[in-house]
Amino acid sequence: MRKLVLAGLFLVGLIWAIASFSGLAAQGTYDRIVLDFREDVDAAQIEQQVQTIAQKYNVRPRLNSEFSQPDHLYTVKGDKALLNALKHDLKQYTEYVEPDYIYSIPESQDSRVNVSIGKEASPIQASQAPNDPMYSQQWNLHSINVESSWQDTKGKGATVAVIDTGISEVPDLKETSFAKGYDFVNDREDARDDNGHGTHVAGTIAQSTNNGFGVAGIAYEATLMPLKVLSASGGGTVADIAEAIRFAADHGANVINMSLGGGGESSAMAEAIDYAHKKGVLVIAAAGNSGQNSASYPARYPHVLGVAALDSSGQKADYSNFGAGVDVSAPGGSTSEENAAGGILQNTIDPSTGESTFAAFQGTSMAAPHVAGVAALVSASGVKDPDEVAAALTQSARKVQDDELNHYGAGKLDAAAAVKLALKGKITFNDFFQWLRDSGYLNPRFWIDGGVVALVPKLAMVVGSYLLAFFLRNYFPFAWSWSMASGLIAGSSGLFFLKGIYIFDLPQAPLRVMGSSIPELGSSIQGSGALNPLFASVLIPLALVVLLLGHAQWKWFAIGSTIGVTACLAVSAAIDPQLMWLGDGALARGFLIVNALLCYGLVWLAIKPGDKIA
Amino acid sequence: MSTTVNGIIDRKGFGTGTWAIDSEDGQTYELHKPPSELQKKGLKVKVEGKIRDDIMTLAMIGPVLEVQKFEILK
Repeated sequence: MRKLVLAGLFLVGLIWAIASFSGLAAQGTYDRIVLDFREDVDAAQIEQQVQTIAQKYNVRPRLNSEFSQPDHLYTVKGDKALLNALKHDLKQYTEYVEPDYIYSIPESQDSRVNVSIGKEASPIQASQAPNDPMYSQQWNLHSINVESSWQDTKGKGATVAVIDTGISEVPDLKETSFAKGYDFVNDREDARDDNGHGTHVAGTIAQSTNNGFGVAGIAYEATLMPLKVLSASGGGTVADIAEAIRFAADHGANVINMSLGGGGESSAMAEAIDYAHKKGVLVIAAAGNSGQNSASYPARYPHVLGVAALDSSGQKADYSNFGAGVDVSAPGGSTSEENAAGGILQNTIDPSTGESTFAAFQGTSMAAPHVAGVAALVSASGVKDPDEVAAALTQSARKVQDDELNHYGAGKLDAAAAVKLALKGKITFNDFFQWLRDSGYLNPRFWIDGGVVALVPKLAMVVGSYLLAFFLRNYFPFAWSWSMASGLIAGSSGLFFLKGIYIFDLPQAPLRVMGSSIPELGSSIQGSGALNPLFASVLIPLALVVLLLGHAQWKWFAIGSTIGVTACLAVSAAIDPQLMWLGDGALARGFLIVNALLCYGLVWLAIKPGDKIA
Repeated sequence: MSTTVNGIIDRKGFGTGTWAIDSEDGQTYELHKPPSELQKKGLKVKVEGKIRDDIMTLAMIGPVLEVQKFEILK
């Protein structure tokens, strides 16, 4: 009986749902109709049909855009009656005749107040896409998850200074607001672009969006401050750049974007950056395009967020610098002569003519303004302190597993997650190393990547090895000693914090080796997250035990490290069984478990009952 | 301080493009305002110039070399 009632209720619910579902189409409004003529109808015939309906219904059919000629796509003003009439008249000539629905982004605040939760789901999600016709080519904006962030903010109230080649007000920046800028190259107030780079960078940050034209930008309601420091040839002096940083800080910028780099250390520049930081400005800079270990200046100065570039597949772009100085990564694209689609597409100028053009560029220059745009969104969400904005950006970034060479910094930029974190208003500074560096306890030649070491497994390995030692002590009482303790550390975790320390312009491999435990040694020079099975096995502990068993004190180092390796292999098997050549599946896990057991057996054999330290 | 670089001229695809020289030892230098004779991809050259440490660029491909003398090699 109960089943019958439930089934009945289900049916009633289903019928109600179907009856009340009015279909997606009915929700759209339109005052235009799209006519798509068949490809096999010749141009003269199409022309004749267009003329006929123009006379018959007193309308003016037009090609939809300059790109519509090959597809024979026309639009005509009209309502439902005309739609039905045209469907009838043009049936044999067209692929389809349909309403040209108007899509718009709901004003987030209003729509959330008015729309009940039940109806909010999919139509709003779908219409978050802006109506800029080339938006579909902007893979980069999809990959940083920008649409969801627009529900909360579009950057209104934030000002981003673009220190670059200047900004020209191309058609797709017409609706973007500008603050007063300056041209430090020619010493004048008009900071227009004569290269094309700065306008492109500005476009990524705040291209006019949802304006039915061109492409989209990230924080399109933010204000741009054009500061020209690079000449038409693309270079500029450190002196001009330092001045521009101070100008931005003094004129109300919240964020500074510097898609430029090179040269040596300059105290004028370092001081300007400190000045801006003290005035509450977040400074963002490109990591550089020489494909080398260590970011270039200015990304490597303290208080500058260094940005590495990702290609369209989400991997580090070949040209992008990495290692010390890279705080976060964002799309920079990768273009080749045959394929521009892998680049970042924005509206800019063609420097040879000064005319507006849509161009796809690549570089860490393109990655930095993604971060600057999201920083503007975070700032507009109410988080003003530059360190907190930086923390919101890095803590919300999508972490990359096994990033031993620091290709990605804290991870890949995520606009929606950053804004969510900013709105929660609880940004924590749990990065001890960051604090240490900023407090000046470390020499500025060092750089620390707090995110490189997965702390939990490391602690599990150390604690696990000590627990094992305690457990064994019940059976075979022995005294603790320094050799035992250092063995436990060497075998389980190594001095793992050293792995997060980088020295600018020096290879990081020595620090990685010093920071590795015995099982990790076989892959630490390559900087691979996978363990080398020759090292992550019973072999080294066995050799140590065989060699050192005769020595009263060193014997305990051998035993300690064997216990440590046991813990390391067991924890690796449980959490992250990655082995070179063996993959990360059941085979690798089995290998690690067997070797952990062998190590444990080895300890058991090596500690004779009643053995004590001499 | 003057630096001499032997290498091949290349056009690097950052921004609207940048002239560079790929030296024989693997280092890439960005050419600072190169003379028009050097603006030819694939040219084998010997360039003498000055490293401009005080200049930053949008290309960020390596040290900036201001050309003082050059010789086109066959």
